[in-house]
Amino acid sequence: MAAARCAFAAASSFFGKYYLRRPLHSPRLISVSPWTCARTRPAVSPIPFHFSSWLIGERASSYSADTCNVSSVAADGSFDFELITIGAGSGGVRASRFAANLGAKVAVVELPFATISSDQTGGLGGTCVIRGCVPKKLLVYGSKFSHDIEESRGFGWSFESEPKHDWATLIAQKNAELRRLLGVYKNILSSAGVTIIEGRGKIVDKHTVEVNGKKYSAKRILLAVGGRAVVPDIPGKEFAITSDEALDLPSQPKKIGIVGGGYIALEFAGIFNGLGSEVHVFIRGNKVLRGYDEEIRDFLADQMTLRGINFHFEESPLAIEKSSDGLLSLRTNKGMERSFSHILFGTGRRPNTKNLGLEEAGVGLDENGAIVVDEYSRTNVDSIWAVGDVTNRVNLTPVALMEGGAFARTVFGGEDIKPDHVNVATAVFTQPPVGCVGLTEEKAIEKYGDIDVYTTNFRPMKATLSGLPDRTLMKIVVDATTDKVIGVHMCGDDCPEITQGIAIAVNAGVTKAQFDATVGIHPTSAEELVTMRTPTRKIRLKGTKVPEAVVGSSQIL
Amino acid sequence: MARKMLVDGGDGMEVEFDYDLFTIGAGSGGVRASRMSAGHGAKVAICELPFHPISSEKLGGCGGTCVIRGCVPKKILVYGSSFHGEFEDSKNFGWDMPGEITFDWKRLIENKTKEITRLNGVYKRILANAGVTLFEGAGKIIDPHTVEVHLTTGEIKRFTTKHILIATGSSAVLLDIPGFDDEMRGVVAKNLEGRGVNLHPSTNIIKIEKIEGGLKVYSDRGEEIETDVVLMAVGRKPNTTGLNLNAVGVELHKDGAIKVDEYSQTNIPSIWAVGDVTNRINLTPVALMEGTCLAKTLFGGEKIKPDYENVPCAVFSIPPLSVVGLSEQEAVSQTENDILVFTSSFTPMKNTISGRQEKTVMKLIVDAKTDKVLGAAMCGPDAPEIMQGIAVALKCNATKAQLDSTVGIHPSAAEEFVTMRTATRRVTPDGQVIKV
Repeated sequence: MAAARCAFAAASSFFGKYYLRRPLHSPRLISVSPWTCARTRPAVSPIPFHFSSWLIGERASSYSADTCNVSSVAADGSFDFELITIGAGSGGVRASRFAANLGAKVAVVELPFATISSDQTGGLGGTCVIRGCVPKKLLVYGSKFSHDIEESRGFGWSFESEPKHDWATLIAQKNAELRRLLGVYKNILSSAGVTIIEGRGKIVDKHTVEVNGKKYSAKRILLAVGGRAVVPDIPGKEFAITSDEALDLPSQPKKIGIVGGGYIALEFAGIFNGLGSEVHVFIRGNKVLRGYDEEIRDFLADQMTLRGINFHFEESPLAIEKSSDGLLSLRTNKGMERSFSHILFGTGRRPNTKNLGLEEAGVGLDENGAIVVDEYSRTNVDSIWAVGDVTNRVNLTPVALMEGGAFARTVFGGEDIKPDHVNVATAVFTQPPVGCVGLTEEKAIEKYGDIDVYTTNFRPMKATLSGLPDRTLMKIVVDATTDKVIGVHMCGDDCPEITQGIAIAVNAGVTKAQFDATVGIHPTSAEELVTMRTPTRKIRLKGTKVPEAVVGSSQIL
Repeated sequence: MARKMLVDGGDGMEVEFDYDLFTIGAGSGGVRASRMSAGHGAKVAICELPFHPISSEKLGGCGGTCVIRGCVPKKILVYGSSFHGEFEDSKNFGWDMPGEITFDWKRLIENKTKEITRLNGVYKRILANAGVTLFEGAGKIIDPHTVEVHLTTGEIKRFTTKHILIATGSSAVLLDIPGFDDEMRGVVAKNLEGRGVNLHPSTNIIKIEKIEGGLKVYSDRGEEIETDVVLMAVGRKPNTTGLNLNAVGVELHKDGAIKVDEYSQTNIPSIWAVGDVTNRINLTPVALMEGTCLAKTLFGGEKIKPDYENVPCAVFSIPPLSVVGLSEQEAVSQTENDILVFTSSFTPMKNTISGRQEKTVMKLIVDAKTDKVLGAAMCGPDAPEIMQGIAVALKCNATKAQLDSTVGIHPSAAEEFVTMRTATRRVTPDGQVIKV
């Protein structure tokens, strides 16, 4: 059986196919990932991007004939569980309860709850619920009121005395909500019949998970352990905080230095600025939000600056020093910034793949420590799968939900579903927020060559009375050849909410003509998207090599 | 300036007209049709009553109902009044507002009037920039090719024109109002009461009396309520008096609306009408669509009918309601297949902290056989902003499967629209409800 399988794997890779596209039904588990069976790597097949920096020498040891066998734990071939999931965050919970609803016997392993994550602490719900999406959005709501208060004056409101904010109340309310959600997640799992095992799960072998000294056997193991914030290794890093701590500080920062230009750093900048802290953001590059549309990046930085945030571009931290008064100084390549009550690093997150037994089990990781998976979220070990941030594909809760659901339906539901990572809409909850779906203008030029770009930069109605300098930028990128809308980007109030419906249309292949044929809802900001009649610029570069300088320039044609 | 123009279909005789198009009414539809026609090369004139926030047979203003006494000022007042709820919500987020919070109505109205006056000026500039001649005064139709304007200067002038466009809009009076989805109407009512509005359903006012300090209202249920103001908002009627339509022979519907065909043409070939005066779908974006299509049909070389399918709209209650496509009742009666109804009722994230006892309700109506999304509705914060994208999706005939395969934006309210997996009920064409 094993020999036949290996031969098949070799044969299929010879024909350039990576995997056998068949629903996986127990017990006839046929895994033909070339990683488990072939003794040599397939020469013909192209290596997909997430395999590109895969290879670590010791892994050759997993290429033994033994791994081709379905490892039998009990003599009669039965396992304690059909699925053990390590990690009860967005991806893990979704996969587990779906699998259970499809009839599988499932257990999920999760660390005990704490707001700050560590090797020993986590909690049901994972990053999203405890120290990500949910608490950050609550803090955004809490901090936005200062803007509402400012706006209200132009509408006739006045305050006898200046409104004040109490940080402790906000955090206490946030934590109460977290605990409620934890209970909800517990119920979700119990109602689905999933066994919850509290503790740190570790892989012993491809069918065995150990938690607190006790071993459990599983036909399949799903790794959904997520990721964690990292702080660069600079002197004084022990004085820095990450997003975990920022969401649970005992008191509000008076003056905070935030290192990073991505969504996490910027969202916190908005939160603390809205609550009245003095905020300084240090960014290595010359712009915020790397990877986003260039015009949006510029516009957002302008709007945030108008709200009082201080940006320090092309400035990188070298060390943190603590003075006798307890305040922190940040030494950068440009000098010294002093008197911070807090320094927050929002410079990146890393998958939680240390100390899980992955190396021993032969599970492949890339150079970032992410678990390498195929399109079905399967690792190179045929009984081990992985979803969510630990695989570092698109690190968003709805994507983890999609990956978890696809895994469960494919492995336990007899379907053949690959999660689709194309045209995933995203939002950044800065103030003002960003919403986008599809390609940036720059990527669109690279891919299509001939594109039309429609932009509008306007003062939303509320600002006409509030007198504040708030503006909104909206942009539609169209493939000029097909009239298909390939990218929509916006920054301004309500943009994340607006983007969702637009994302449905973009995923359905909407054309600019269909956008224009849609009647607007008046008065809204969103209606601007269906009323942009004249392209701001037309770019015709199909078939030519796009020079660096041209990309992002408005001087084209 | 006289120009040589050929009369349509007549005796082939060449006649000179002062204008290619003369529009009566410079509101949403009138301005759009006029400036676009001018853009297509037509010689256009427009007349409009002098500006005043309160409309009458003698007063109006460039920008029309939408800008002066409709969409714009109402949204401004909604914003102004929404702050109260925001301040309430802020308490549990840690905000303390010691001392008195006062609201100055006069200041809001002043700032509102400043803004609509500014927009009135903007509309005048839009017309001027487009090369449209603006006359201030009341317009009247003399014959199928002649308009008479009673200018505010006192002069009376007559102009000949190839085409006449009536875009005089409507005014508030007593009329019937069409309904929305029944389930959503209930949600709006519940929300109003939750916010402190006293609703008196199935009640009619039978008498209003002036008393010291205000008014006294008597209802047919025996209630007597003292109040500062009584606002009648029971409907609007098309503005067709004073246009001399009877004499010219332009046909009207029973409710006074001007009868037009799909191209906005009246029974008189040279007379057209767009906007609220035709009482089709009385929304600014629809008037704009009608005006654009007309300009293209008359002067753009392409005959285009406005498309009334899947027109989204919003009610700016607090929280607002927004809908697109068919309501559940409409879907049941108009679709030959069973329909699936998906509903979601949830506490928006902000309210989990603010403590506000208000749920957001979302609804999708799907053709059970074709999987096509026939209608969507939402009552909750940001509903109108969210619904615009949903409307675009309906324009590309999106299916429920396509909605479901769209990854959500998290955390948002809108993502609920792409995560409704289980139908709440199935309804047959004859109204039978089947529990799913």
